[in-house]
Amino acid sequence: MAHISAGVATSHVPLLGVAVDQGKTQDDYFGPIFKGYEWTKEWEKQEQPDVVILVYNDHASAFDMNLIPTFAIGCGDSFGICDEGWGPRPVPDVEGHPDLAWHIAQSLILDEFDMTIINDLDVDHGLTVPLSMMFGQPEKWPTKVIPIAVNVVTYPPPSGNRCWALGEAIRKAVESFPDDLNVQIWGTGGMSHQLQGPRAGLLNREWDNRFLDMMVGDSDAARHIPHIEYLRETGSEGIEMVMWLVMRGALGRKTRCLHRHYHIPCSNTAIGHIVLEPDN
Amino acid sequence: MTEQNIHEYLSDLDDIPGTRVYTASRARQGYHLNQFAMSLMKPENRERWKADERAYLADWKLSDAQRQAVLDRDYNRLLELGGNIYYLAKVFSTDGLSFVQAVSSMTGMSVEDYQAMMMAGGRPAEGNRSIREGN
Repeated sequence: MAHISAGVATSHVPLLGVAVDQGKTQDDYFGPIFKGYEWTKEWEKQEQPDVVILVYNDHASAFDMNLIPTFAIGCGDSFGICDEGWGPRPVPDVEGHPDLAWHIAQSLILDEFDMTIINDLDVDHGLTVPLSMMFGQPEKWPTKVIPIAVNVVTYPPPSGNRCWALGEAIRKAVESFPDDLNVQIWGTGGMSHQLQGPRAGLLNREWDNRFLDMMVGDSDAARHIPHIEYLRETGSEGIEMVMWLVMRGALGRKTRCLHRHYHIPCSNTAIGHIVLEPDN
Repeated sequence: MTEQNIHEYLSDLDDIPGTRVYTASRARQGYHLNQFAMSLMKPENRERWKADERAYLADWKLSDAQRQAVLDRDYNRLLELGGNIYYLAKVFSTDGLSFVQAVSSMTGMSVEDYQAMMMAGGRPAEGNRSIREGN
């Protein structure tokens, strides 16, 4: 049977993709950021997940204002790389796992989550930057990926509680898939950042670290954080952190922290990264 | 989350200093503006846009105020008129600007001062949480 062996969360700042693509990962600015991912890169080489369920948000790339799904799942064979305005990133296309993805979609719908199913999907930095942070610059990504897109752009986004519950249902779906697969779930986006208006540049180290604390152990307090708290404390785009809750919910009642990294600033944002193992 | 009153939920979103949350009413107002921005994801559209911005905008159902704010690259005004930063990013990316350069332009700070603020830990939440509470 398939199983979820670990959860990974990371920010997905576009500038990190630029740093990888242009070979700047070791300079003074980026060095301390990328150093925090070295442990995870080595760990991923040993873990060799068959599939990563990658929870991310589309940044007005694949979805425009004609179609705004709250939760969507990529069921295609492969996913192309978006041109976000400066040409597509020079990274490999992303290979999907249609059998598992369709299985999860069916299971989630029966569990009363109204998923949007996508077959033809180009993915943006929200999905490709985390892959680069964990796997560097391979000719082909070493894992298959099932994208799960969450709307955190147009209000209201789903509640934290709903995201956590979606994670719980994903775990149930994965564990009922007959093939023996090592599956990881990644939550991407966040941490504190505000990209707009006169309040742009807001960072909240203290709040972010409390949130990281909440990912570990058996507390489910994070599922009850209201949207307004993310907005007030972590900036308008800090709402992306609800996507980490899908990851956390999928790990079950209790987690153990394997690795944790936090750094300020990266472009307009704080950067956070954590690796968790189910401990149930 | 327990059940919420939608009016209280929306009213709270308007209580954050220096912030325009992308609510349904803004999304509705900004539909054509954001779709215009989105069109710049195609290289052939970027070429047409760069060659003649006014002519390119004529193809889109923007209000006069939106049209002028786009030409002025007045991002705060664009947010007021229903623009969303994830969409508007296509405009400043086409201009060759980074997120830091574009975002700092909304704060009334120079790029250098903004970057210095970020290096020093960013803008604090203290004093920036609520208009009503002034905290």
